[in-house]
Order: sequence, then C-alpha cells, then structure tokens
Amino acid sequence: MPRDFTTGINWGREFKSSFAAALWMCLLTCPMVAFKINAAENTIDYRWNYLIYVAAGTFILSGVWRFMLARRDYIRQSKAEAEFEGPAPDAPRGPAKTWVDVVMSSKYRNQGIGVGLLVLASLPLWASPYTINILITALIYISLGLGLNIVVGVSGLLNLGYVAFYAIGAYTYALLNHYFGLGFWVCLPLGALASTLMGLMLGFPVLRLRGDYLAIVTLGFGEIVRLVLVNMGDITMGPRGISNISPPSLFGLDLNKVVKPVLLEWVPTMSPNLDLNKAFLFFIMMAVVIITIVVVFRLENSRLGRAWLAMREDEIACQAMGIDRTRAKLTAFALGATWAGLAGVVFAAQVTFINPTSFTFMQSVMILSIVVLGGMGSIPGVIIGALVLILLPEYLRAFSDYRMLIFGALMVLMMVFRPGGLIQSVRETYVYKPLEGGAGGEAKK
Amino acid sequence: MLKLTGIHTYYGNIEALKGINLEVKKGEIIALLGSNGAGKTTTLASISGLVPPKRGEIVFDGESIINQSPESIVSKGLIQVPEGRHIFPDLTVLENLKMGAYLRRDKKGIADDLEYVMSLFPILAKRSTQSGGTLSGGEQQMLAISRALMGRPRMLLLDEPSLGLAPLIIRNIFDIIRQINLEQGTTILLVEQNANLALRVAHRAYILTTGSITLSGVADDLLADEGVRKAYLGG
Repeated sequence: MPRDFTTGINWGREFKSSFAAALWMCLLTCPMVAFKINAAENTIDYRWNYLIYVAAGTFILSGVWRFMLARRDYIRQSKAEAEFEGPAPDAPRGPAKTWVDVVMSSKYRNQGIGVGLLVLASLPLWASPYTINILITALIYISLGLGLNIVVGVSGLLNLGYVAFYAIGAYTYALLNHYFGLGFWVCLPLGALASTLMGLMLGFPVLRLRGDYLAIVTLGFGEIVRLVLVNMGDITMGPRGISNISPPSLFGLDLNKVVKPVLLEWVPTMSPNLDLNKAFLFFIMMAVVIITIVVVFRLENSRLGRAWLAMREDEIACQAMGIDRTRAKLTAFALGATWAGLAGVVFAAQVTFINPTSFTFMQSVMILSIVVLGGMGSIPGVIIGALVLILLPEYLRAFSDYRMLIFGALMVLMMVFRPGGLIQSVRETYVYKPLEGGAGGEAKK
Repeated sequence: MLKLTGIHTYYGNIEALKGINLEVKKGEIIALLGSNGAGKTTTLASISGLVPPKRGEIVFDGESIINQSPESIVSKGLIQVPEGRHIFPDLTVLENLKMGAYLRRDKKGIADDLEYVMSLFPILAKRSTQSGGTLSGGEQQMLAISRALMGRPRMLLLDEPSLGLAPLIIRNIFDIIRQINLEQGTTILLVEQNANLALRVAHRAYILTTGSITLSGVADDLLADEGVRKAYLGG
C-alpha cells in the first residue's frame, strides 16, 4: 500500500470507544463472571479480578476490530478510486487476480492436482478409519454445497429446504434396498432422478416467487418432506428409521473378506480396523465430487449458466433479452436437486442407518453456510467452505461446547470483512479489442 | 409492421388500457406520449408480452403475437429496452452486451454488432470490463439501448430513455436513436414524458390519456397544435 491508512484514524476517539466497549462488557458480564455462589457453604465468592480480564480482553478485541474496519474501508476506498479513474491505458484490464487465479494458472497446475489426488487416493492405505469416515462426510457436503451453489449462488434463488432433496436421495436408496433389495449402483441414478423430479415439482409452484417468499416456501417444503418421513411410519418406519442398508458392492466381491487380508499383508501402514467398504465409498464419493465439479463448471459457462446469471441479476431484463425464465428457474431447481440426491444415496450407504433426524432444517442451514462462507457462485470457495465447516468441528472436538458461538462469530466476521466469501467467484472475463477492418473481435482473458 | 387493435390490459381488476388502437409502419419512429399513469409503459408491456392483454389483437409483421411468451416475441425481433434501464449490475459491460445476443448463434454477426454499438457509444468500449452497476445513469441507458441492439431488433421498444438523465446526455441519446433509425432502418416505438424532445425525433405520435388514445397525428402537426402545447409542452 502506497499511503499509510493509519493517518486518517482519530486515536483519541478510537481509544474512548474501545474503553466504553470494555466498560459495557464488564457491566453485562458482571453477574456471571464476578459473583460465584458457593452452594456448599451458602456464601458468595467475589472474583473481581475476572472482571479485569474481561475488560482487558474486550479492550484489545475492540481495538483490533476497529483497526480491521479502518483497514477495510481504506482498501475499499482506494479500490473505488481506481475504478472511478478507469484502468490505465497500459494496465492489464479486468478484475485483479486472486491467489486462486495464480494457483490455477500456474505452470504446475496439472501436476499439483495430480499429486493432490494421489495423496487423497492413497489415504485408505495409511489414514485411520475415523479420518476416512469424516472425509466421506466432507466430500458429501462438498457435493451438496456445489449443488446448492447452482440454485443460490448462480441463479440467486434462496433455497432453505435443500436438505429435502438430500433426504429424498437417501430414502430412495434405503427404501428400495429394504423392500426390494436393490443395490447401490442401481439406486445411485434412481436417487438422483427422484430428487430431480422433486426439484421440478417444487419449481412449478414457486415460479412466480423470489426473495423472502421463495425462502419461506422452500423452508416449508423441507419441513414437509421431513414430516412425511416421520409420519408415514408404515413405509418409512417413521422416527425409528431404516437400518442395515447395504454398502456398495464391487462385482459382488466381499472386500473385507477377500481383499483386506491381502492388503494388510502388503501394506504395513494400513489400519487393521479399516472397513474396506468405507474405503470403497470414499473412492466413489471422490469420483462423484470430481464429476460434480466438472459438470457444474461446464454448466456455469454455458448458455444455461448465462441465463441463470441473468435471472439472478434482473428478472425483467432477463425476459427482455428473450431468456425463458420458466425454463431457467426449473432447470436450476432440478439440477441443484440432482446433486443432493446423489449425495443422499452415498450418505445412506455410508451410515447404513438413516432416520428423519439426519435431515432437519439445521442441515439446510449448514449447507447454505458452506455456500455463503465459501463464496457464492465460486467452485473452489464452496470446496474450501465445506472442508472448513465439516472438518474443523471434527478436529476441534475440545471446543465443541463453543461450536455454535464460534460459528456465529465467524459468520458475522465474514459478512463484515469478506462479504463475497472466502474465495470470491471470478467468472471468465472478456476484454474488448477492436480489430482493424471492423470485423469485431474480442479476446478471452 | 406492428398493429394494435382494441387492446384491453388489466392489473388485477384495474383496467389500465381501455381499447388501444395503434399502428407503426416499417422504418418509422413513433412517439407514445402521455402523463403519469396514462398507460404508456403498460402498452409496451402488452406488446412485449410481460403483461399479456385480456382482449384485443396485436399483429407484428402479419403474425399475431398476442398471448405469446416474452421470449418468443423477442425472437421475432421485437425487443424492449425496459423503463429504468434494468441492466445487469454485477456483470461487466461486455457481458451485458453479450447477454443481449442471447438468442443469436451467429458469432460473426454478434461480433459485427458489438463493433457497431461500440462505435455508437465509444464510452462503452472504454468501460467494457467495468461492472454495469458502476456506470453512471447516462452510460447505463446507453448500455441498455446497446444491449437491445445486440439482439438485432427489427423493431425497438424504448421506454423513457430520458428518465433521470441530464439534458446534454438526453440530447446525445436522442441523436443516436435517430441515427439507429436512419442507418439500420430499425422501426422504433418510443415512450416518453419529455414530449417536446420526442416530437422532434418522431415521425408520428400518439397521445394517451388514462388508458385510451385521445390524439394522434404527424409529429410536426402535434408540435404546432395549441391543445397539445398547453397540455404537454408547457404552454
């Protein structure tokens, strides 16, 4: 930064504000922090020194907060100024490169992705069964996040009942497996199809809704599906759920009996407790996620993707451009639901026991948080978001009491400092370059 | 080219258009004037299919387009520049323009038209990588018109292009509207509050009062008409 942004700060005022915040925090927490009732001796312990810690902590945090705000405003202002003046004639045009662009355009990109995939693929040979299990969960949530990203991030349709499609995928497999003995591979496409159809069914009544109204209807839809699962006990077993769902098969091979002893002999690092069915599922889920990434990426840059963008930006203009709004909306809902259906089938195979409590509103919120935290409309953002939100709570079990507190604080901080998400979406930008002779041209950047 | 007969359009129970008859011939600029709430924008919305009329007939190029979806009307070359510009705020200027050519697949033609609108409004070339929302009002209006031109319209429906703009910019935009009409032969139906300016550009004009057409004629005659001067041109 050329200029120092600290020059504009009124130190006296900031000091006073932080001091006031510290005092206020003391007052608020005084009853909880300073007095401790000793029930055994019927006395009250006074712990005034704790209040001093609270004050000092609040003062410092408030200072950091103010510092960050000033820094953010400074950066915003200099960006706005630069935009107002327009790009310098010789400066590279288009939005500034983020570190994702730098990584993605690096020479070693393909090698890097290859090494990353190899490390991931070798995980079952040396990681603990626990790691494999939570990685499957993380991959499921990546897939869910990418699916919801089509609906919320790209098309701008706030869907608070996304978990319903996940549930439909999971129950499709569970029920077909329970009643008809159908296997994983048959049910994977069937689950996706069932979810897609439900997506279409939800799409029709909400065609004319947007914003808050759409959010409420989708919220209701999510609850309806859950309540139907709870109350249709004759078929779905109600809250007792469905157990003994079969794991995916590999040409009828019993992995744990046939393959595992061989592997254990040859690979000393492999955990003897590892359920090879889980490892197999891990590979399946990796493949699903890779396919999802490729398909979602292609979709975003297709005609349909542009129609979704236009619909998100301005519905009237979108119609004036001749875009079929009905089709755009329905395909967004249906395609978003497809990925939830796939993820649902894998989830049912992973846990082998499902009941309606796995598909509550909190799950929808979780998936939505992944999309918002990661960055609306950004594929790498959603992946990072899913990893952060699923893996961190698993590895920080020590802080599990404060999980929701940290979660909330994280969301507030994100909205203030990075409203676009951890990794903001950067679409391909085009630069206009007039050619001689008038045969217009543009170059992809 | 475009003919409206007995158009009745309702918003709920409210009859906004009470039997509009209107005709636009090929290559003409027609102004549609009237005060607030007269039904000017509703007339355009009825034509473009955004608010389908309840009764009446709309014929475009010998083909009835009543009760057709907005997208199929656009695909026939009848393109609207909505009131209040409605550009895509988070897309860049260039992406906005490409969105205008959404229904077209001829790459060469699109590139040519891009070149053409950039020559009409050179400022857009300068701003091509900026997001649409950061443009000034005048630039946004230029972008909205250019975006409609990217669809290669045979007839352009312009809704209040002067809305909220500085007089100098309004003049510039009206010059270009006339230029488009002359160079491309695009038929234009222009809705305006600024009657004075619109009548100077248009060949003919219709005047709407509370949902019906009360006066129509050649633009120059209307400019000279005593009643029109009093009602719409400020004496």
